[in-house]
Amino acid sequence: MKTYDAVIVGAGAGGGIVAGVLAEAGHKVLLLERGPNLRYEDVGRDHLRSQRLSLYGHNAGPHIEGNPRVVVGADGQEHQVRPHQGGYNNNAACVGGGTRVYGAQAWRFMPQDFRMASLYGVPEGSSLADWPLSYDDLEPFYEQAEWELGCSGDAGAMVFHGPRRRGYPMPPLPETRKTVPLKRGAQALGWKTHPIPVLINSQPYDGRGACVGCNNCVGYACPTEAKNGTQNTLIPRALSTGNCELISEAMTERIETDARGNVTGVTYLIEENGALRREMVRSKVVVVSAGAIESARLLLNSSSNKHPHGLGNEHDQVGRNLQGHYYSGARAIIEEEIYDGIGPGITISTTQFNHGNAGVIGGAMLADDFLKPPIDFWHTSLPPDVPRWGSEGKRWMRDYYHRTLYVAGPVQEIPNPDGRVQVAPHVRDKFGIPVARLSGTTHAATLDVAEFMRERAEEWLRASGGTKIWSARHTLRLSGGQHQAGTCRMGDDPRTSVTDRFGRVHAHDNLFVADGSLHVTNGGFNPVLTIMALAFRSGQHIAQALS
Amino acid sequence: MILNSSLQSTLQAAANRIIPADDYPNAWEGGVGFYLERQFATDLSRSVPAYEAGLAALEAEARIHFDAPFVTLLEAQQDELLRRVEAGEVQTEWSVPPRRFFAMLVQHVAEGYYCDPMNLGNVGLRSWQMVGFVPRCD
Repeated sequence: MKTYDAVIVGAGAGGGIVAGVLAEAGHKVLLLERGPNLRYEDVGRDHLRSQRLSLYGHNAGPHIEGNPRVVVGADGQEHQVRPHQGGYNNNAACVGGGTRVYGAQAWRFMPQDFRMASLYGVPEGSSLADWPLSYDDLEPFYEQAEWELGCSGDAGAMVFHGPRRRGYPMPPLPETRKTVPLKRGAQALGWKTHPIPVLINSQPYDGRGACVGCNNCVGYACPTEAKNGTQNTLIPRALSTGNCELISEAMTERIETDARGNVTGVTYLIEENGALRREMVRSKVVVVSAGAIESARLLLNSSSNKHPHGLGNEHDQVGRNLQGHYYSGARAIIEEEIYDGIGPGITISTTQFNHGNAGVIGGAMLADDFLKPPIDFWHTSLPPDVPRWGSEGKRWMRDYYHRTLYVAGPVQEIPNPDGRVQVAPHVRDKFGIPVARLSGTTHAATLDVAEFMRERAEEWLRASGGTKIWSARHTLRLSGGQHQAGTCRMGDDPRTSVTDRFGRVHAHDNLFVADGSLHVTNGGFNPVLTIMALAFRSGQHIAQALS
Repeated sequence: MILNSSLQSTLQAAANRIIPADDYPNAWEGGVGFYLERQFATDLSRSVPAYEAGLAALEAEARIHFDAPFVTLLEAQQDELLRRVEAGEVQTEWSVPPRRFFAMLVQHVAEGYYCDPMNLGNVGLRSWQMVGFVPRCD
C-alpha cells in the first residue's frame, strides 16, 4: 500500500494551499481531486454552461449526470437535483476548485467578523458564535495569501478594515467608465469607496501576465493566467518540489480508521474503461478540503464501529450551520455613457455598511458587478415591468444593456443549526456513494440584513443618477453555493464545533479540515481569501506536527 | 428537423413575434432555429413533446379565433394569440400548461438569439452588435 505523510482531499482554495505548504516543507503529499485538470480550452466560453449561468451544465464540473444531491424543499419533500439546477448549491469540481473560474475578489474579513456573537448577541434559534481566533491571529496569513498568490488593491483606502502590516503587492485594476457615476454618488452621500481587492494581476506577477480586461471573467478561466487561483500558484509549486502527487478525477470514498478509531488513510475511486478501480492509501495525516458540502458528506460517509455517526460527529455538529451569501442589491438605468466593455467589471466598493448598522446584525460590502454576457443579462437583469418578448423587450435590451448598473453585496448570514448537510443513504452518485442531502434555511434575521442592504444599494444608485431603479426582496432559503461555509465550524468546545482553531477535528490527532467548512461565520465578503489564510495557517501547523 | 414541418413553421412564426425584426434580425434570421434544432437533439430532447403539444395547441387556438393557420395571421393577430397564451386564457384543451409553455418558449428563443455563437444561435453576432457587447480576447 502506498504511504504518504498527508493525503489532501480536494484541490481547491484550501487543499491546494495546504498541499503547497506541506510539499515545500518536505512532506510527501497525495492531493486527490474528484474533477479534472482543466485547460483554458476545456473551460471554454459557453455562455449557457458556465459557473455563472448554468442553464444546461457547467464548464468546470461536476458533470450533470451521476452527481445528484437531495434537497428538501419548503414543502418538506425531498427532491433530487442535478449540479446545474437550483438548490444544488454547486461549486466547481476541478483542479483549483472554485478558484479556477472565480471572480477572485480577495477580501479580508473585518476584526468584528470574528466576534459576531459578542458584538450583536445571539438571536433566538441561531447558532451565531465568535470564532476561536481573532483577526490579529489571521492577519499574517492574509498577507501571505495576498503576496504568494498575487493581489491587486489599494489597502490605504480601505479605512474600515483592520490594521495590516503590509499593503498589496500590486496596484488596483483600473477604473472604468461605470466607476464614474458610482464614485460621484458615493461622494454625494458621504460614503467612502475604494477599488476591489482581487487576486488578479494588474501587472505581471510571479511569471504570470497582467489582466487584459476581457469580459468573460467570473465563471470562466483567464486567457492570460492573470487570475490567480491555486491551480496556477500553490499547486504547481507543490508539484515542482517532487513531494506532491496530484491525482485528478479521483473520488474519495471514505476516510479509513483503524480498530481504535484512529485515521489511517483514505480509499478513493477512479473510473477506468467503464469500471471503477478502488485504491487505498495510508497516511499520517488526512486533510479534508472538498468544500463545505462535500467535506461534511465525506466525514459523515466515513462512519465505522468507533464512529457510528461519521468522523468528528460525536455531538451531531458535522454538516450543521451551512451558510453562503444572499446577494442583496439593486439595479438602475443611468442615462450617461457608462459602458466601455472593459472587464472584469468590478471597479468600486464600499464597506461603510459591514457593521454598525442600527437594528441589524452585521451587514455587507457593496460593489458593482462583473460584466455580464447578454444572455446572462437577459436572465438576471431585466426590470419586472419590461416585457420579455415582442418589440419592446428587444428594444429594451438594445437601449439598456449598456446603461444598466448593478450594485450588490454578500450579506453576512446569521447561521441556523437546522440549515444543514446530511447524507441521503437512498440516493447514490455514479461511484455508489451516498449523496449530500440539504435541508433547512439560514436564520430569518438574515432577511433583515438583506433588506437593509437592498435599501443602501438603491440609495447609492439614486445618488449616482439612476433614473429607474429596481430590486427584489429576499425570501428565506438555504444558502451555500460558491461561498458555501460553516459545516465543520472551528471552536474550543467539542459540543458546539467540529474542529479546533487549527482545523483539527476534535478527538482526532491527525484529521484536519481546510476549506470554508471551518468558518464560524462567513463575513459580509467573498470568503475565499479567508479560506486561503486559514489554509496557510493550518498548513504551517500540520507541517510542524509532521516534522 | 425534429418537429414536423407544420409545427416547425408555427415555431418559426411564433419565435419571430417573440423577437421581431427591426434594424436587427428577427429570431429566425438571428439563428434561433439553428440553436433549437441542436438543443432539441441534446439538452432539450425531453422538452420536445411539450413543444409538440404546445405548438399544436397554439395552432388550434389560431383556428378557433381566426379560422386560419397561425403562420398566415397578421402580426397583430399572432401577438394577440401569444398574449392570450402568456396569460393562460386559452379556449382549447392544452395538454401542457399554456403559461409554462410560453415562458419556456420565450426563454429558449432568447437563448438562441443572445447566446455565444458556439451554440449555433446569434448568427453573425448581430444581437451582440445590437446591445453593444464586443467579445474581447476570444
